[in-house]
Amino acid sequence: MPRRRVFPAIWAVASAAALSAGCAGAQHFSSSGTPISDEVWAAAEARVRAEGIPPELELETIGLYSEGRQNSVLHAMRAGLTAIRIGRFDLAKRFFDGAISEVEALQEGAPQAERAKSVFVAEREKWFKGESYERAALFFYRGLLYLQDQDFGNAAACFKRCQLQDLRGSEANVPEADWGSAEWGLALAALKQGHPEDAAVALARAAKFPSRQGDLPPPRANQNLLLVIEAGEGPIKVRGGRQGETLLYSELPLLTSAFEVRRGGTLLARSAAAENLFFQASTRGEREADRFLADKADFTEGAGTAATVLGIGALGTAASGQSDIAAAALGAAAFGTAIAAASSRPEADIRRWDNLSHSIFLIGLALPQGANTLEITGLDASGRSVEHQTLEFNVPDSGRPPLAVRFLRF
Amino acid sequence: MKRLLLPAAALAAFLLGCAEAPDPSVRYVDPGAQGQIAGTGLESQDISAAAQKAAQSIVALPAIVKAAKPPVILIAPVTNRSANPIDADLYTTKLRGTLMQYATDKVRFLARDASAKANEREQELRESGAVQPGGTATTGRIGATYDYVLTAEVRGISTANKRGQSDWFLVAFKLVDFQDMLLWESQYEVKKEGRENAIYR
Repeated sequence: MPRRRVFPAIWAVASAAALSAGCAGAQHFSSSGTPISDEVWAAAEARVRAEGIPPELELETIGLYSEGRQNSVLHAMRAGLTAIRIGRFDLAKRFFDGAISEVEALQEGAPQAERAKSVFVAEREKWFKGESYERAALFFYRGLLYLQDQDFGNAAACFKRCQLQDLRGSEANVPEADWGSAEWGLALAALKQGHPEDAAVALARAAKFPSRQGDLPPPRANQNLLLVIEAGEGPIKVRGGRQGETLLYSELPLLTSAFEVRRGGTLLARSAAAENLFFQASTRGEREADRFLADKADFTEGAGTAATVLGIGALGTAASGQSDIAAAALGAAAFGTAIAAASSRPEADIRRWDNLSHSIFLIGLALPQGANTLEITGLDASGRSVEHQTLEFNVPDSGRPPLAVRFLRF
Repeated sequence: MKRLLLPAAALAAFLLGCAEAPDPSVRYVDPGAQGQIAGTGLESQDISAAAQKAAQSIVALPAIVKAAKPPVILIAPVTNRSANPIDADLYTTKLRGTLMQYATDKVRFLARDASAKANEREQELRESGAVQPGGTATTGRIGATYDYVLTAEVRGISTANKRGQSDWFLVAFKLVDFQDMLLWESQYEVKKEGRENAIYR
C-alpha cells in the first residue's frame, strides 16, 4: 500500500479508537440509546444516595438524574407510580410535578423536536412526553394524590387536564375525550367541594363514553375511603410496518372484569373498571408523527433500492470496459446511498410508561367509625372469584373524617 | 486536507456521541419573566399582575379611602376551579405580599395562618401560667377580627386538539364585609395558546 494511502487509514483507525475510547467508560445507556458517561452516572447515583431514595426507586431516579430532558418524563412517570405503590406519596408528587411541567411545555419549533423529524435521527431521541394515554394517566394519578391531600380544587383541575391530554390525541371525527375515570374523580372532587351540579355534569358525560367498561357506582359526598385498584399489565408499544415505522400496541388481556368489596360478608360495592388503559392507548387517532416515520421508511427503502441499482450499474460499467471514472462514480454513488439507507432511522419510538396497569378500578366507600376489615375480590366475566386481598382500614372517631385513598395492586 | 477530514469527522462524531450529558449549569432568571418551560398554564407573573391590579383598585375604594382608621382585611386562600393545578398556598402568599406592598398604609391585613396557630399556642401557654406577657400579668389574648374578607378564585376554560392547547383564566377577586355584603369585585383575565410540535402530535 503506498505510503500516502496508509496515513488516512491509520488516521481512520486511530480516530475510531479515540471514538471508542472516548465513550469507553459509558457502559450505561439512556432509554434513547444515548451513552451516559461514568461521571454523570456516578453523580446521579451519589445524588440518589444523598436524597435517601428507596431501593425500589433507585434505578428510575438515577435515570431521571442522568438522562436529562430526553427521558426525564419517562423516568418520572415510572418512579412516581412506583412511589405511590410503596407509599412514598411525597416522592410521587415530586416526580409527577416534574413530569407535568415538562409535558405541559409545548415544543413547537424546539430544536430537539425538529431534529427528531430528520431521516437520520430516531424518533426515540426526542424528549419523551408520552403518548396521549400516558400523559392523561400522569394527570389522573396526580389528581388522586390531590384527593388524598384533601385539595379538591387541584384534584379537579388534574382530572380536567387528564381529559385535555386525551383530546390532544383525538381524531377530528372523535372530538370527545373519554377518560371515564377522570370524570368520576372530577365528580368526587366536586362533591367534596360542595358542587353537586358539577358532579352530575361530569357523570352524565362519562355515561356516554365509548370507553365505558360496565357498571360503575357513582361517588358520594359522604364517602371517606377511595379504593384505587390497579390490575394487570399496561399497554405494550411494539413496532410494525416494513421498517418498524409503525407504532402498535400489544395487550396482555386482563381476566378480572370487576371487583367487589365486602365487610363482614356484606357486599358494600361492586364495580367494573373505571378505565381500560389498553383501550385508551389503542383508540387514539393517527399520529402526525407517523407521517414523518412513513417518510423516513420510504426514504430508507428508496435509498436501498437506489444503492442496488447504482451498484449494478457500476459493476456493469466496469465489466464492459467502459470508463473507469464512470464506474468509480457510480460505485461511489452506490456506496453513498447505501450509507444513507443504513443511516436512516425510521423506527417508531417505543419508550413507554411500563408500570402502568391494564385497568384501573375506583370504588368509593362510606365506612363507619372504627376498625373495618374489607375483603376485596376480583371477579372474572362469569362472576367467579379470581383474586383476593384483605384491607384493614380505621375510620377515626372524632370529627368528620377526611377522604382516605388506598392504592391496591392486583 | 483530505487527511484532516476523516479525523475531524471522527472527532465531531465523538463530541456528538457524548453530547447528551445533562447541562448542570444553573443561572438566575427574572422571576417575572416567562420561563423556558413554556406551557399554557397560569404562572407566577400572572398572579403577580392580577394582585397588583387588585391592590391598586382596593386602595382606591371609597370605603377604604374614607375609613376613619385603616380597615382590616383577611385574605382567604386562593381557590382553584380551573383546569390547571396551582399551588394555592404560594399564590395566596404572593397575593398577600403584593397587596401589602401596594396598600400598606390604607388597609391592614389579618394573618390567620401559621402565625394564628402560634398565637393560639401562646394563648394556651399564657393561660397555663407558663409564660406571661412582659413578665407581669396573665392577660387573655383577644385576636383581632376583620372588616372585610378578600377572596380570589381562579376559573378557566381550557381546550385542546392535536395542534396544541388553549387556556383562558379568570382570576376573580371579591371583597366582602362581615355581613356578606359584596363591597367590590374585580376580574383579571389571561389567555394563552400554545402549539405542539408535529413530532408529538
